[in-house]
Parts: sequence; structure tokens; C-alpha cells
Amino acid sequence: MSQIQRAAEVHDVVVIGSGAGGGSAVQVLTEKGIKVALLEAGPMLDVRKEFKEHKWPHDYDHRGAEEGGKFYFGKGKDFGFFTTVSGGWQLEGEPYTVGEGSQFQWFRSRIVGGRTNHYGRMSFRFSDYDFKPYSKDGLGWDWPISYEDIAPYYDKAEEFIGVCGSVEGIRSAPDGKFHTPPPAKVHEVLIKKASEKLGIPCIPNRRAVITKALHGRAPCHYCGQCGRGCQTASAYSSSQVQIFPAMKSGRLKVYDNAMAREVLTDGNGKATGVVYIDKKTREERTIRARVVILAASACESSRILLNSKTKEFPNGVANGSGLVGRYLMDTVGFGLSGYVPAFEGMPHYDTDGYGGAHLYMPWWMWDKHDQLDFPRGYHIEIGGGYGMPSVGSFHGAARTFGYGKKMKEEIRREYGCRVGFAGRGEMIPNQNSYCELDRNVVDQWGIPVLKFHFKWSDHEWKQARHMEKTFAAIIEGMGGKVSGLSAAQRESQGISVPGTIIHEVGTARMGKDKRDSVVNGFCQAHEVKNLFVCDGAVFVSNPDKNPTLTINALTWRAMDYLADEMRKGNV
Amino acid sequence: MSKTTRRTILRNIALTLTAGGVLDTAAAQHVHEAAAAAKAGGVYKPKAFGAHQYKTVQRLAELIVPKDEKSGSAVDAGAPEFIDLLCSQNKDLANIYFGGLAWLDAEMRRRHGKKFVDAEAAQQAGMLDLLVEAERRERARRAEESVYERSTVYRDFAGYSTHARTDLAPGVVFFDWIRKMTVDAFYTSPMGVKDIEYKGNGAYSKYEVPVAALEYALKRSPFGA
Repeated sequence: MSQIQRAAEVHDVVVIGSGAGGGSAVQVLTEKGIKVALLEAGPMLDVRKEFKEHKWPHDYDHRGAEEGGKFYFGKGKDFGFFTTVSGGWQLEGEPYTVGEGSQFQWFRSRIVGGRTNHYGRMSFRFSDYDFKPYSKDGLGWDWPISYEDIAPYYDKAEEFIGVCGSVEGIRSAPDGKFHTPPPAKVHEVLIKKASEKLGIPCIPNRRAVITKALHGRAPCHYCGQCGRGCQTASAYSSSQVQIFPAMKSGRLKVYDNAMAREVLTDGNGKATGVVYIDKKTREERTIRARVVILAASACESSRILLNSKTKEFPNGVANGSGLVGRYLMDTVGFGLSGYVPAFEGMPHYDTDGYGGAHLYMPWWMWDKHDQLDFPRGYHIEIGGGYGMPSVGSFHGAARTFGYGKKMKEEIRREYGCRVGFAGRGEMIPNQNSYCELDRNVVDQWGIPVLKFHFKWSDHEWKQARHMEKTFAAIIEGMGGKVSGLSAAQRESQGISVPGTIIHEVGTARMGKDKRDSVVNGFCQAHEVKNLFVCDGAVFVSNPDKNPTLTINALTWRAMDYLADEMRKGNV
Repeated sequence: MSKTTRRTILRNIALTLTAGGVLDTAAAQHVHEAAAAAKAGGVYKPKAFGAHQYKTVQRLAELIVPKDEKSGSAVDAGAPEFIDLLCSQNKDLANIYFGGLAWLDAEMRRRHGKKFVDAEAAQQAGMLDLLVEAERRERARRAEESVYERSTVYRDFAGYSTHARTDLAPGVVFFDWIRKMTVDAFYTSPMGVKDIEYKGNGAYSKYEVPVAALEYALKRSPFGA
């Protein structure tokens, strides 16, 4: 490391990654007066340029099909032209590879705010039993922390980012500090009636959207376009809610287009900084700091750890356990939709709401596993209503009804009559699902890339079959008809492609024992006291609760601990 | 959800955006109708298509989404311009249209001795009916095949054969292209949004669900009113 400029500024803390983990780290640390350098592999977010909120397809000559009709060739923007996705399943010049016999898709964002600019904002607390899964059923591992440890931080995170919800007293879905949720839409009222007949609770959704003003953010105005990015920041994003305010404090310096390669260590078990590539000049640069925090997303943080090889850490920094990259998990996904004639001819109204469903169904059989052939559980997300007519909205109907006046009438009749269900379930970590460095491939920055291996086990397949039967029963209970794939097709295709639910976690898990985990319960590397991992990598299990809120809370807790340790001179 | 509230909110949003990224929906509608009217005035010059090709695209768009008592046609909604624009930007897409239009004229000449646009309305509709019917058969065949492919019982059933492919296949493929793009252009236009009665993309201080809609659906559901 002779190239290090001696005169370089030494920051208190350097944070790599600006999503939920990086944003929370920046927020908590700068509020405590600590100076932070933030590295983001993509550009600075320009809300006015990037967010297409309130635009119509007819505001564009291509109507959202993009130049030359890319959409029609499957080459349009991931999740559609209007979403604010700055990244995707594939990034030019930044490949990843997949092992033979495996399927895995890795979604990466490259912009300040990362995936929080467009994610679904589902904000579910883990339950008490979610932290002790091994104790419950003998599978996987227990977390080193309990619900009581993290509950105060769920409170803080919810109060700061703002989450809608209702107090229900359901064990699988602990209550939080909620804003008032919006009322159920018509199709949701019917879904609730059908699900409750089956003994499945259906309650107000919990999303990181505010319905009253908070820290200068306006309440939701119900355009339902959170996926496009929210110009009023009524939906949480780490960029607008945590990073921009921190920049104003003067204690945060953002380095954008900075692609981190490795963590530097001093040979005595301490991190000294980070090496990154400045994407604009392709020059290698170094940032020195007292503390290094990885929050680049589970797999990207693991990649940086694995790429940080020294004599002291031949398998990558903090990887004495050999567990970095191991036990990669995604969420089990399965979807089914149906047609409900009760909605035909209903007077249309605005179903956009606060973006996403106003109700959802938490897992309801946590104490009934004797009746199930799979462990753990899932929650159900629902869809329906009158969506904004967009390219592709009516292709199916057009194919079914031919052309002409009849097609026009049938499209009118069918519009808004579909309901959809998406199961989001817990996967059991397994040895066949992991990522490692691909020795043969580097990205355009010269950094070795990840190679993914992934297998669903019988646990996940059986869970998906249970989802399918449940969703069909709800649809039929509403007087509807299941549509889409035939039963035979569902049987063979009926589980999400690994990675595609974008809940990848677990590749640098926390634990009490350094032989059996990478970080401790405060996200602090066992082997390097001034190195922290603050993203989904530290997850020991992947409960059926979307991971973002727990990343916010774990990070907040870790940063409180870190600030204390810094004050005491331990770090 | 009163209008004044909505307008106030929109104004407030616009104020928070220094660049003013939000256009009132009614204002947006007005701008686009004006633009469409200018185009309909015969000033539009196709960029990708020749005059005859463009005339055929217009006629097909009109047949796919015709005018009825509720709304205008896909031509009124700007579908031919939309298709022409994208074809002018993408050779692969243009070639799909060039080939499809040429196939259609050849097939019409073979059947009726006339190009598509010169044929009787009934002959034109008859051709589209044939394509739709052929598409249906093809879809049924594929669905059947996929079941047979998955089933070892049927795979071993040597005597089984699926329906023969129709020689209308190129027309079926082309019709699917022009139909989906025409439908997209129509329903994403202000006219289509109005036809389908999409009420969203608004801004409110409070979200409410109309009681009339709820009562309507409940009455028709298994749960009763």
C-alpha cells in the first residue's frame, strides 16, 4: 500500500453503499456529530430528472415502449419505463456468473438511494420466533439477538422513516409505531371476506409511506406511483429521507460513481480504509477512515470482503469462518391471479391509493405446523383494481377477443376485474445456495465478479404448493375463477426464479461464535473490530418479512453501539 | 376528493418542485388533444412507411379498434403515428411490418385479386377473421403440445399427432404485432384513458373509497350486501 497519499484526509467512518443500510448508518452517525464519507457505485440522484411521477404514457411519443419499441422485444427498462430503476438484472460491464445447474438473478442498483428509491416499501417486523428458528424447528440457526433487543430500534426506525399500519396483536406480525393506514379498496374488502372465511387474517398493510407530515415531508397524495420514486418523499427512500438531510448537516461527504474494490487492513486486525475505482477517470483511489462500514447489499458486501485478501486474511477479510458468501437466501415467491365477475360493471373509481395494496395477510399458522408439510411460513400480498392503462395492459385481452367493436367492449368489461396474490415465504438456508468469487472473470473495473449457486429444497417447493392452493381457494371464495397457467404448468413452474424477489440475504451472517458466523449481534466483524456489515448479509434466516425495515433497525442498533465504542476508544 | 382540494394539492406539489414537473391532468389532456388534432389534419408525414403501407396500417388500426358510440378509433388516437415512429427508430421492427404488410397484400390478391386497402370491407374483415381463427387453433395446439411434452404417457403414444401448422402463420404473427401496438396506442391515449374510465394519477389529501362501488360489488359477490 505504498501508493497511499500520506496527506489524505482520515474520515471518522467510511460507508460503502447508500441503500437502506448505508442511509441509516449515515443518518444515525451524522446526527451524533460523526463525520462520514459515503461511497456509492452509481451517480448522485437527481429527483427531478429521475422520477417520472404523475407522467402519462401519452406524455411520451413512444408511450412507454421506449425508443424503437424496446419493450416489445423484452429489452425495455426492468419493471417498465416509468419506474425509477437505475440498475437492473444486468449491468453493462459489471457481469456476474451462475454455476452449472443453478439459476440466479441478481438485481443491483447504481444510484444514491439504491433500491429504496423504488422498492415496495413493505415494512414488516420480524416476530419473536423469527429470531430463534433453530430452537423452534431444528433447521438453520438462531440469531444472536432476540426480538427484545431489536424492538426499540424497530420503534426508532418506524418513527423516523414513517410506516402505515394498524395495531392488531397478531404474533407473526408484531405491531409498531404506525401512521393511520388508508381504507381498504373494494376488491380488498371482498378478498378480506374470502380469506377470513378460510381463517386467514387480512389486515391493513404496513408500508413505509406517511399519511401525516413528518420531518418536513408531505403526507402521501395517493397517486400510487411509489415505484417511480416519490417527489414529495412521502414514501421512504434512503436518499431523500436520510442522505440528503445528512448532506445538509455538513458532516457527510458523498463520493458517487465510486466502485469499492477492497477493504484495507493494517496487518494487525484493523481496517484502515477502502480502495475504490473512480468510474469517471477509471483511477484507483483510497479513502482512509477509522471505521469501515459495508452496506453495499448482501452479495456486493460479501464480494468486497472476499476480494480483500491479505496474508492475515487469505480467504478475504473477516472470513476466518469461511462463511462469507455462504447460505445465500432469497424469498420464496409464487403468484396466482383470478377473474372476479362481481366487479363487472362496477362504477369505476381511483384505485391507485397509497401505492400497492392497502391490506395484506400475515402468516397465520405459526402454531399449526403439525398440519403442514413444510416449515416456517409466508405472507400474502394482494393486487387488483383499475391500473393506469400502459403498454402491455391489454395484450392478453386483445388476443382473447380478436379485434373490433367486440374486443373493445370485452376490454371495458374485463378491466379492473382481476385480483392477484403473491406469496412471500421463508426459505431455509442450505449448503447449495451461495456465492463465491469467479476466478476467471473480472468486471470492467478489474474487480473479480461473483458466481452464484442456488437450489430450492423440498421445503420451498412444498410451501409454494400450499400458497397455490390457498390463493385458488380465496379466488374461488370470491366467486372468481383462477386464470393463467394450467394446474399442470403451475406444478412444474410454480416457484420464483431464485433472486427475483430481490430479498437476497445471509452471506455474512451474525452469530455469537466467530467460528460459526462473520459478524456479532452488532453487525461488527468478529475478526476486525472496526469493520461493520450493515445490510442483508448479516441475516441468519430470511423470515417471510421483507428485509428492508429490519436492515434499518439492525443498522440503527449497530451505529448506536459503534458510536459508544468510538467514544470509549475501543474502536 | 373535491376538485379544489385536488387542485390545491397539485399546486402545492408543483411548488415543492422548483422545476415544476407536474402538469394538471386536465391541462395535459388539452395539450395532447391539440397535438392529436394537428396530426389528424393530414400534416403527418410517415417516417418509416411508404404511402401505400401507411394507408394499410391506418386501415388495420381502424379495424382493430373501430369507432363506436363511446369513443373514436385507434386512428383518431394516433396509433398509426405511434407505429410509424417506432418503426423509424428500429429496423427489426420496421421489417416485421414491411414483411407483414407485403404478405397481407399478396394473400388478399391471391384470395380476392386486390390489395388489402382496395378490397371490400367484408373481405378485409374476412381476412382478419381467418387470422384470428388460425391464431386460436395454433394456441390450442401449443397448449396441447406442452401438456403432451410434459407427459411421458402421451409422449410414448406414437400414433398421436398435433394439428398441422397453418400456412397463415406469417399473417398471424404480423397481426399479433399490429394488434398489440394498436391497442397500446389507443388505450394509452387520452381518448383510451377516457374510454376505459381510468380515474387515477391524481393527488388528494385523503383517500376515499366510494360506497356505491363497494355496495355494487358486494351485492354481486357470494357475500351479499
